[in-house]
Amino acid sequence: MNMIETHDLTKNYGDFQAVFKVNLHVPKGGVYGFVGPNGAGKSTTMKMLLGLTPPTEGTFSINGKTYPKARQEILRSTGSFIEAPAFYGNLTGEENLELIRRILKLPKSSVAEALELVGLAPFGKRLAKKYSLGMKQRLGLAGALLGRPPLLILDEPTNGLDPAGIHEVRELIRSLPKQLDCTVLVSSHLLSEIQLMADHIGILDRGKLLFEGTMEELKTYAASMGYPADNLEDTFLALVHQAEEGGRRK
Amino acid sequence: MALEFTKIKRTGLLPAFLCGGLLASMIPVLNMAVRSEAYVNLSQPPLDILLDGNWQTMAMLNLLLAVIGACLVYHTEFADNAMEKMRTLPIGEGRMFLGKTLVLACMCIVVLIIETAALATCGAIWFESGDIVWPDLMRNAGCMLLLLLPAVILSLLVASLCENMWISFGIGVLGVFIATMMPSENFALSLFPFALHFHVLGEKTAELGVGAAVEILALVAAGAVIQKIRRRF
Amino acid sequence: MSGLFLLGIEWSKLRRSKIVWILVAAAIILWVPSVLNAHLNFQMQAEGISPENNFFIQGFMGLAWFLFPASIVVSTVLLTQIERGNGGILKMLTLPVDPRKLCLGKFTVLLSLSAFQMIISTGVYFISGAIASQTQNYDLLLGPAPVLRMAGVIWLTAIPMAAFFWMLSVCVKAPVFSMGIGLASIVPSVLMINTKAWFLYPMCYPFYAVTVEYGKLAENTSCGKIALVPWIPVAVLFTGACLIIACLCFGKAERS
Repeated sequence: MNMIETHDLTKNYGDFQAVFKVNLHVPKGGVYGFVGPNGAGKSTTMKMLLGLTPPTEGTFSINGKTYPKARQEILRSTGSFIEAPAFYGNLTGEENLELIRRILKLPKSSVAEALELVGLAPFGKRLAKKYSLGMKQRLGLAGALLGRPPLLILDEPTNGLDPAGIHEVRELIRSLPKQLDCTVLVSSHLLSEIQLMADHIGILDRGKLLFEGTMEELKTYAASMGYPADNLEDTFLALVHQAEEGGRRK
Repeated sequence: MALEFTKIKRTGLLPAFLCGGLLASMIPVLNMAVRSEAYVNLSQPPLDILLDGNWQTMAMLNLLLAVIGACLVYHTEFADNAMEKMRTLPIGEGRMFLGKTLVLACMCIVVLIIETAALATCGAIWFESGDIVWPDLMRNAGCMLLLLLPAVILSLLVASLCENMWISFGIGVLGVFIATMMPSENFALSLFPFALHFHVLGEKTAELGVGAAVEILALVAAGAVIQKIRRRF
Repeated sequence: MSGLFLLGIEWSKLRRSKIVWILVAAAIILWVPSVLNAHLNFQMQAEGISPENNFFIQGFMGLAWFLFPASIVVSTVLLTQIERGNGGILKMLTLPVDPRKLCLGKFTVLLSLSAFQMIISTGVYFISGAIASQTQNYDLLLGPAPVLRMAGVIWLTAIPMAAFFWMLSVCVKAPVFSMGIGLASIVPSVLMINTKAWFLYPMCYPFYAVTVEYGKLAENTSCGKIALVPWIPVAVLFTGACLIIACLCFGKAERS
């Protein structure tokens, strides 16, 4: 069964098509990587899944519940991390999480647990606005992990982290499905990074879903289309390039 | 200073000052339109009558406008961390403070021009034509600018020190409130930067003008120095 | 999710905001001139008001006319800036909370902040009254009943105005305009209380209520009366309309 299913999900801003008829199938359990160049519509799609922006057309369901009817239930079972760090600067990291914990009605211990999970435990008492970029990023991640939700939506969670941090977060995300028994939808503009974390991938370019399937399927698909298949970055570039050519010919 | 003018783009500062000026101008016009009979037969010169009847309210609006403007020009610096960027550039924060002072001073000139035009219009419509003379009007506007600037610079100084807009806004509003509570006869108290602007031209204008000029110089110097020292903390 | 619960959440967001200090400073600033000018209370024979009543009503008049409405505007700036400053509202919208309830919750915080200010101002009244009584050798203090009643009346009559300011700060994105319109709308209330149509202008309700009280205390002045109809229906409609618009606008920019 699929955790997330979208049907012809479309978002227009004026005459600009940010997302066009996207049909995602995110299977339950495991990590689903959402790849595409900057401005491909990844964030917009994720925002639609979180109800932060209404779709122009199309529908989606999360864990069998359809939006917008079950908005509250969907949000209750979804942990999210959205592009820019979103927090209250006048509160400490711990207080920020405490706020979310109270809204989600979770046990008190979950805050410490989440801080521990992202490695922020020693800095919990510091004001969030005094955090470094990487720490803000981790705080956002902790906010998403709070209460072990069955679905995590993470938008570019490794942005702004140093190599060690990227590695750490990557390992964390990799281990989450087993550790917390959840599904992770994670986006990145680097296929090489997604390759290291994801079981399934979806490639988005200029609002259109170019490919969806497992890593193996991507390789087979690339081979069948005559794209370079030994290096995934090349495959990705060839795919995007092909789509661009197609767009120009129209 | 051109730099500071580009920064206020799309913040709504200029439209806000224009609207504020127009609003303040409405006061004498409406007042005359509704109860002109209470004013036209007084023996004083028309300009004095108009100012006596309306200046308190107009001055209050001007001061509030100055407070809001000051909060806003520094808010744009703090909101998206532009301040940090500015500190890495080779321009002094003292210069920035001066630039912002000049920007707000220009805005105040615009407001006072609108208000002066309104006063002139009232004079032309409701009083014998020629009773309000231009030199008097211009002198009044100039003095009012001089008496408004200390409040502007003090608000800017407060705003530059408070990263949170509501704190600088709150302090400014309290300052205006204190000024409204002060008895105007007491000369020492009327030198309070927010109180100066409430005074209409009269016997004490010269002293107040000197006081205001001293305050302007002192506040600008203080502002420039504080901006420099702050960097070290 | 109960309203009380959300109120608790919203209060905890105010930590380290220093708003409490601004409100305390406002209360002190309000009463200090009254203490310094306490002797003026004995020169009110023309109005026919007793010194203790004059001391009390003048202070509350200053509060109701400008300081209290302006403090509400300052508080609305605080409430919206806390949400927008670091994108906290974005996080809130991804949590299972009804945005409309969030909006009403924040409005309730606004009302409780203003209630806090009334309590502090009343407290400072008693302190400054005691000091002034000492300096003037005359008991300038009134009993708690009329003072608390006046404070309650000011707070209650300020609710429609608070709803208006809240709507402004939610719907008007540029802070200059929400602050500017808010403050500018306070100033004309001096003119409005002298007209028959005062009940159409919610920003003058608290001031009007205090002036009516003044009229009762001062024998030689005449002041309007408070007719509950059409005032109460107008006030209720106005408050409701403002809150509905605010709830519809809340978080809209972040959700487009």
